[in-house]
Amino acid sequence: MSLSLKVEFSGGLELLFSNQRSHKLSVPALVPKTYGETSSETKPADITFLIHHLRDNLLKERVELFMENGTVRPGILVLVNDTDWELEGEGEYPLKEGDEIVFISTLHGG
Amino acid sequence: MASCGNPATEQDALMLRRTKFDKTRVCIKCRTNPGNVVIRHAVYCKECFFPMMSTKFRRTLEPSINAIPNGPRKKGLKPAGNLFLGFSGGLGSTVLLDLVSQCYFSNPTGEDAAKGGTDHPRNASVWKKATVCYVEMCNALPGTRDRTDEMRAAVEHYGHFDFLPLRIENAFDDAWWQKVGGQRPESHFNVDLANEELFMSAQPSPSSDSVASLRAYISSLPTQTAVPTAIQTLIRLLLLHTAWSTESSHLVLGTSLTSLSVSLISSISQGGGFVVREEAEEEWQPTVHVGSKRTVRVNRPLRDIGMKECAVWAWWHGLQVVGKESFLGGKQGIGALTKNFIVGLERDYPSTVSTIARTCGKLAPKDGSDTTCILCERPAQLGVQEWKARISIRSFDEPALASPPPHLQNVPSLPVPGPPDAAPPASLTPRLCYACHTTLTSRSSRGSTSSSLHANSTPLPMWVVSDLGQGGAHDHDSEQWRTRKMQERDMKESIAEFLLPDS
Repeated sequence: MSLSLKVEFSGGLELLFSNQRSHKLSVPALVPKTYGETSSETKPADITFLIHHLRDNLLKERVELFMENGTVRPGILVLVNDTDWELEGEGEYPLKEGDEIVFISTLHGG
Repeated sequence: MASCGNPATEQDALMLRRTKFDKTRVCIKCRTNPGNVVIRHAVYCKECFFPMMSTKFRRTLEPSINAIPNGPRKKGLKPAGNLFLGFSGGLGSTVLLDLVSQCYFSNPTGEDAAKGGTDHPRNASVWKKATVCYVEMCNALPGTRDRTDEMRAAVEHYGHFDFLPLRIENAFDDAWWQKVGGQRPESHFNVDLANEELFMSAQPSPSSDSVASLRAYISSLPTQTAVPTAIQTLIRLLLLHTAWSTESSHLVLGTSLTSLSVSLISSISQGGGFVVREEAEEEWQPTVHVGSKRTVRVNRPLRDIGMKECAVWAWWHGLQVVGKESFLGGKQGIGALTKNFIVGLERDYPSTVSTIARTCGKLAPKDGSDTTCILCERPAQLGVQEWKARISIRSFDEPALASPPPHLQNVPSLPVPGPPDAAPPASLTPRLCYACHTTLTSRSSRGSTSSSLHANSTPLPMWVVSDLGQGGAHDHDSEQWRTRKMQERDMKESIAEFLLPDS
């Protein structure tokens, strides 16, 4: 079973993702507890999984500008269905069918 | 209840993750809607977020609009001149442009629109004219492209701003200088950045190529940190002089709370502690017009608004951020390191960033100043060079210091004092503030720029040249100070008449 998601990048982050702002993708509903491991223990797909998934499947260059210490780099704001991910549990937010996740860089100048 | 037991043995012993917001997920303003964004632990819904931003913006800007700052505003806002907006294309200035447009140049909507008609004085613009100025930096930063057209499109999209493009090389351009009301200097000077005294020499045939002068200036700087600092100073003075020439009373910049904290910490760590107040807000007039009634007031209306709020505003308003070139001097420059630190701090401890700005806002130098730095045109602390001479090693004559430290081995040593009667060459050092002198001369054990060791004929920006050309370089009226080591016999001679004869 998989989940369909809409992912958008803004504030210059789109430059790291083929200069394309909006992406539609599907991710598995259940994923291994630790990303990249093939253990039998699974968990519902969350934003932490999505970040790793984006890094491995959509990111074209300079991973250090997107990720740091297993999460997004400081200065990148994440909105889940137009709501700050800090209100939704940050990386632990379990993804749902049709979710819209937006990554906005605040570091594109100032 | 959080517990801190042994996570290896107790399954539930891990401390609960602390949420980034206080108490509930409901908006603290309307207390009805579910929150959409967390701003320094406070939760706001989308409807309350926009008025909160506009209020913060106006609360910071409006007390300084009338000629007397923080005075009564019952009779409305009457600025002494036009509005000048510095636009970099970054997130902060994009949001600033949008807020200025919405708060001061858009027709009122809703209930206000119906009151008194469109010609009611309340609906008149606060500023008669608003100019948006962009400084193109591509000639200072190799490998970057000219973005002037993109900036023009972003500004002209609003329809009520004049777009004024500048180029950073204008700082070395006679034509620009005369256009902004500067006097054509009688002579040009070069400065020797390899020597701490910054001796100047007349430039017999000044280069008319301002790009070459700009590049020579930047490549002569001693460290990677000095380059972005020097570029920032050039941009600041270009904006200020141009704002003055457009009869603007206010220069507004899109410095957010986050970027203000970065620039405060970065400036202090580069010796700019004396002007920490000016980093947040300043009142400026050209050196040649000191005492004139007209000033340019520099305001940063986003200084209570963090980068996060700016990003959310831009996203929800559908603003297109053009972006700007990063010129923070590589990963190891002080500016870049400070930015990384503050951005990380803002994520983990969001309130601390506002504490930096608020704490710096309370600082004031112990002593006032009546002198101005010739390069940055900000107040300069008196007696800095004497203090510097007392606290630092200035020569390598002593046997223990026969070999200079590795990073200074290729640097020419200080000049050997000449005969007492020889006239010393004019020096720029006494005219500079501590921060600018440090920027131009301080060397590092790492990160030196490649050509900084051949910096003996560096061109100077037009405002410096102009000031020097008006007699500053050979100012015979003011006192001339020179330090030299005296022989014991000379010292005895100078106090001879006070000595009691040996009995």
